[in-house]
Amino acid sequence: MQTDRIQREHTIKFIDGMFIGSFQAMASPCEIIIDSDQQSLAKKLTALAAKEAWRIEQKFSRYRKDGIVPQINNSQGVALKVDDETSLLLDFAYQCYDISDGLFDISSGILRKIWHFDASDNIPKQSQIDALLPAIGLNKATWEKPWFTLPKGMEIDLGGIGKEYAVDRVLKLLQEHSDCALLVNFGGDIAANKPPHNKAYWSIGVEDKAQEKKAQAIIQFPQGAIATSGDVKRYLLKGKKRYSHILNPKTGWPVAKAPSTVTVIANTCTEAGILATLAMLHGKQAEKFLAREAVDYRVQR
Amino acid sequence: MQLKKKTKIKAALASATCLLLGNTQAQAGEDKGWEIDAAFLYYSEQDRVSAAEPTIFATKTFADESKLNLNLVVDTLTGASPNGAAPSDQVQTFTTPSGNSSYQIAPGELPLDETFHDTRVQVGANWEAPISRLTRYNVGANISSEYDYNSASISGGLAHDFNRKNTTLSVGVAYAADTIDPEGGIPTPYASMAAQGATQPRDGDSESKNVFDIMLGVTQVINERTVMQFNIGTSQSSGYLNDPFKIISIVDSNGRPQDYIYESRPDSRSKNYFFWSTQYHLTNNDTADFSYRYMTDDWGINSHTVDLRYRWNINDRWYLQPRLRFYQQTAADFYRHSLVQGVTVPEDISSDYRLAEFDATTIGFKLGYALSSHSEISARLESYQQKGDTKPSDAVGVQKQYEMFPDLDASIFQITYSIKF
Repeated sequence: MQTDRIQREHTIKFIDGMFIGSFQAMASPCEIIIDSDQQSLAKKLTALAAKEAWRIEQKFSRYRKDGIVPQINNSQGVALKVDDETSLLLDFAYQCYDISDGLFDISSGILRKIWHFDASDNIPKQSQIDALLPAIGLNKATWEKPWFTLPKGMEIDLGGIGKEYAVDRVLKLLQEHSDCALLVNFGGDIAANKPPHNKAYWSIGVEDKAQEKKAQAIIQFPQGAIATSGDVKRYLLKGKKRYSHILNPKTGWPVAKAPSTVTVIANTCTEAGILATLAMLHGKQAEKFLAREAVDYRVQR
Repeated sequence: MQLKKKTKIKAALASATCLLLGNTQAQAGEDKGWEIDAAFLYYSEQDRVSAAEPTIFATKTFADESKLNLNLVVDTLTGASPNGAAPSDQVQTFTTPSGNSSYQIAPGELPLDETFHDTRVQVGANWEAPISRLTRYNVGANISSEYDYNSASISGGLAHDFNRKNTTLSVGVAYAADTIDPEGGIPTPYASMAAQGATQPRDGDSESKNVFDIMLGVTQVINERTVMQFNIGTSQSSGYLNDPFKIISIVDSNGRPQDYIYESRPDSRSKNYFFWSTQYHLTNNDTADFSYRYMTDDWGINSHTVDLRYRWNINDRWYLQPRLRFYQQTAADFYRHSLVQGVTVPEDISSDYRLAEFDATTIGFKLGYALSSHSEISARLESYQQKGDTKPSDAVGVQKQYEMFPDLDASIFQITYSIKF
């Protein structure tokens, strides 16, 4: 049952002794690199990966009316019973909220109603921000597994977890079907199970903020995951002040002096993604935060 | 943004991620498996009935917190039971319920019907599931069958949580339909027991009764250590409420039996009760349980039950739970140990000692041992003592020499094996 208008297809190509499966999901180019010369395996794994990515996209997107997120956002304060996978994600979101002291908040997306990061100078008024702040705060919602009650007027968005979660899930799924070295890359969020058979590590180029297409630095890693937070194209500029698109859910304002990108290397893409986001939220202390947490990172200012 | 205390965010995040990604099939619901209790109970009354009762209770909890409960109970009773007649200074001869044989009771002895034996099988199922975040329902059905008695019941209930789940309000209803088909037929109330081989006074072969129960309950969390429960309920029985095997002695002015008549109870009974229990968790993880129940019915029986238990967790594997229970009841208005000839016969009459005034004490303990994290074995040993008015002031003639209430001593032993998988 394909109801979306995006054309759903996946392709494979054979480059340098490895198959690369490609498809589009979560508004990103997605690829999986399969350290194998078996075309049938590559086709099968690519199909599985695409199907799982689309499933997660469909289920957790905030745009799709049939997804759980719009259902929660339209629940009008009525308790909603959620399935096990959503329960796990909500549990995880709450843990992130707790360990970050409320900085990582899946209910902060409502600020997008007034903040449009389109490189313009369109800064909202403090009164607009003040009007939205009462609708932010995951602690205002009630989570009694499997019942989630979101107060009327609040919204949640699993976008801050979804893509990284999909990367980890897809890698895990593919590992159930193959023993070869695999790398999953969804728009720069990456996870790999082990190094290719003839190399000691995977090499990943990190985008330069100024020269988008040219890799600024190469990260080499045998296995694990990489995630990047920040977007060189999403900012506001007023006078000489640049506002990053990372918003502090407590103030409703962009985080001051946030790096333009933070890349974190961790065991899983989900961990890497949260750590990168938390580093961004620490603004000028991003590096200090990462260093104190003994995280392997790259920061671009 | 100020950095807080030296954080361990990375470690906390790693464990959170592990939970998120750890389960291989996050999509598939995870059922919680089965919990099975298999028990064997042995009940023995001194010189009277003994019962052996194997039981199996199985509960399956599903991913959405709904529960299926199945139970099977088998009990086998053998031994002697008081037939209702009073002791006498002469040999007494009684006809068995079938009317085909008789038995004799020696002078001074309590008349017991030795032919008592039966096997009962009961199967039941109960289903409990959430309707919404705060509301659950349950439905159940039970069937029990024995040689001369069949019972079928259905039940249903609703429970709703309030006050941040600190208060639960529940309502339950149950309906049971029973039929009795005693050996030899239904004795005619007040008719005299006929001699062996003669035509017995009978009103057909079978009778039925219905019981309707309603219960309202409140469970309240008082504080983090104390939970209380209050229930009120009513139980309405109608139909054939007699015990077809019970008779009453009609005695002369010397207390010697002249006749035995079959008992007659009202054809309805309305019971109301109140129940209060408190469970207290001590700081060392032991638990103390207290409950009190008051019951009153329109037969004139009022009863009080106090039950105390303390669970002492000796160590990680062993626990000991002593128990003390007191019970006291007043007699039914129509209870008579016997009737004196010539006195106006009351509208209803029974000499069933269970309708007399008596006190009962249960004392015992349960010892449990955890075999593993998901299996346990326990043994329960209890002693039950029932005492009534053995020398009633209205005893006549020779009755004064004998015990007119059959005091009872019983032992209960139960062994239970519980496993979760």
